[in-house]
Amino acid sequence: MNALLAVYCDEFRRIFALKPVWSVLIGAVLIYAAFYPQPYVNEALRNVPIAVVDNDGTASSRELARLIDATPDIHVAMTLPDFVTAEREVYTRRIFGVLVIPQYFERDLLHGRPSPVALYSDASYFLMHQRISAGVTSVSRTFGAQVEATRLVGFGIDPVIASAVTDPLPLTSVPLFNPQGGYATYVLPAAFVLILQQTLLVAVGLLGTLPGAGLSSGESANAGPVTKVVGRLLAYLTVEAVVVPLYLIALPYFYGVPRLGSLAAQLFFAIPFVLSTSALGLVIAAWLRNPLMVQLVLAAIGLPFFFLAGFAWPVEAIPPAVHAVSFLVPSTSAISALVRIGQLGASLHEVQPALWTLWGLTLFYGALAVLIEARATRPQDRPKDRSGTPVPAAAES
Amino acid sequence: MLSRRNLKPGFWLVFWRELTWLRRRKFLLVLSTILPIALMAVLTLVFSAGLATRLPIAVLDLDGSDLSRTIIRMVDATPDTAVAQHVGDLAEGRKLLIEGKVHGFLMLPLHLERDVTAGRRPEVVFFYNTQTLTTGNLVVRGISAALPTAAAGIRLSLRTGQGQASDLAQADLTPIPVQIHPLFNPTLNYVHFLLAALIPSVLQIIVITASAYSVGLDVETPHRLRILRRLGGGLWPAMAGKILPLTLVFLAVLGLSDLWLFGYFDLPLHGSRWLLLSAGLLFILACQMFGALLALLLRSTPSAISIATLLTSPAFGYMGIGFPRLAMNSFAYGFGALLPGTWYLMARIDQTVRGTPADLSLKPILILLAFVVSLVILAAWRLDSMRSRTDPAPSGPSPALEGATS
Repeated sequence: MNALLAVYCDEFRRIFALKPVWSVLIGAVLIYAAFYPQPYVNEALRNVPIAVVDNDGTASSRELARLIDATPDIHVAMTLPDFVTAEREVYTRRIFGVLVIPQYFERDLLHGRPSPVALYSDASYFLMHQRISAGVTSVSRTFGAQVEATRLVGFGIDPVIASAVTDPLPLTSVPLFNPQGGYATYVLPAAFVLILQQTLLVAVGLLGTLPGAGLSSGESANAGPVTKVVGRLLAYLTVEAVVVPLYLIALPYFYGVPRLGSLAAQLFFAIPFVLSTSALGLVIAAWLRNPLMVQLVLAAIGLPFFFLAGFAWPVEAIPPAVHAVSFLVPSTSAISALVRIGQLGASLHEVQPALWTLWGLTLFYGALAVLIEARATRPQDRPKDRSGTPVPAAAES
Repeated sequence: MLSRRNLKPGFWLVFWRELTWLRRRKFLLVLSTILPIALMAVLTLVFSAGLATRLPIAVLDLDGSDLSRTIIRMVDATPDTAVAQHVGDLAEGRKLLIEGKVHGFLMLPLHLERDVTAGRRPEVVFFYNTQTLTTGNLVVRGISAALPTAAAGIRLSLRTGQGQASDLAQADLTPIPVQIHPLFNPTLNYVHFLLAALIPSVLQIIVITASAYSVGLDVETPHRLRILRRLGGGLWPAMAGKILPLTLVFLAVLGLSDLWLFGYFDLPLHGSRWLLLSAGLLFILACQMFGALLALLLRSTPSAISIATLLTSPAFGYMGIGFPRLAMNSFAYGFGALLPGTWYLMARIDQTVRGTPADLSLKPILILLAFVVSLVILAAWRLDSMRSRTDPAPSGPSPALEGATS
């Protein structure tokens, strides 16, 4: 027990003694907290500029254009004479859609014939396309239904029946959990979990590869491999006990991300997440053996992890084999489960599979770390191996 | 080897030395080739489906009529959604949604069929999860497409019931149909949209950090920088010889991934391949010089890599692929403009899916060129100021040294 405490205290001291480590674990964490969310803080894409090519030039066609301009999603930035001119404006990215209202739009509409309009929306940016097409479709549906109902009433049909005839089976879509469809609300809770994982991996990786600088006291150097690994993991857990609440509770609150779930459940779930990530960090450190390599490799692999988590891209579309392997990375389980607890209000019971996966990973990577530690310390006369290697690439040639 | 030793100082000497280093320093080679290719392979596998189809939803059918069964069949038949589960009550549907087993659930109320035929407009409610925006939008698109199809038949019968001739009634079912033409990516394929942009983004991180590393190793020890300059016989050939070997490596990696995207995933190349290629070359050069400048300014490899990571790892969000730059605040818009990737992705989208006419597609490429030129000038200026600080004797600096070696 004394040995465990010694290892724990040693590792805790090293975290704050080694500048590269605390600058990742504290510095980078604080910078990302302000820096990462900036692109999304406006939450919604509004007033996407489009052009209208009005070949009809009647009161109805102008009314349709006006109604579209009045929606929060779309802004009619220009009225152009023909599609070719408009297309060039799309190429320059001044507008992202073209609405073509054909000739005889009004005549057909008033005669009760289908009077189609054509919408060309820029699908090289999906969100633009989605905003424009949703906006135009809903405006033309209500405008059309209104015209149609008025016409039917004119035929002497009862107004109630008239509206039932134009729309007999209304669909009410209820968006749950992110009712505004906000982009920050969507991205940030997941990204915060990934940032937690990546900073922790780098910090643990650096601690395992940087020379100890003579900080280890005798007692902790002689501790057994299990004690060493457990002591270190507990030290990381202590530091993360401050960082995790910042990222899972304070930051979402600060950025106005709605929360439904219980804080206690999120924090409880974070324990195996932090432990499995730290243990993975120990394994990575033993594998890469060089602080620069740790930094370089982990910098590159962060972005792909985000898309493995089944968050930005549905799990159903990821090949099952890839999805199964991706569970080896803690963020795959953690992102989906922590978001479900925090934003969907899931109970711990409802994220049980993820919880067990992370405890399993903790055991798996922890056992690997113990094995590595045991092999490194077995020959008693080679303890320098760990502190002697860390600078090779920089030193050689 | 012998012949190389006889080489005169100049570009080729530094170039060959750098290549030998790359061969000897396996890690840098792995970092700049195998790692990006492996990451691209993973991302490619993740997005290989291209479209997310048949997303599972649950149904709560309180009516159990012919009409409700027709609606369920139609919802199941749309490409976007698949009816995975029938639930008995709202709580069960909510639970499935929270557990992530379904992305939405559809509630068909009691007496649906009776009320519809009586013209009472019963409400069909679809609850869906917008916390995951992509899937949320897809499932609601599926339902919104399926329901009007089911309703069309009813409208027709309601109308003929009102005494309208059937063919006339059919005509005005949707008074203003909107014919939506998604420009540039008609099938809304995620491979052409997201994967094609993600790969350069991963490469941007790797090129910038790896260049910070590779240049950092030379900068850390002042004498090595002097050796490099002497081997190059001057500042410019030394810089070019140091930078270009990795440029070729990264260009090969980018080319490989593009071959894969164009060849296997049918990414269209509607624009000019030469503009695409020059944008790619300038992008890689700009990223390399970005990393090199960080190493020169910070003079410590670990710090240069840390800062490079800090600046590039959140970069994907700033480049405006998922959430357009148009909607960002001014800080994010400005920072995005400072990233080479923002302009490269613009040029890339122009030349691949959009097929932008050449006269309209020069802007991002010229901006990339300006990046490269100004970063090279900054790096040269920094190297010069570093040298005047490390060389205490300012008497005839470079000609004398160069004369001594040749």
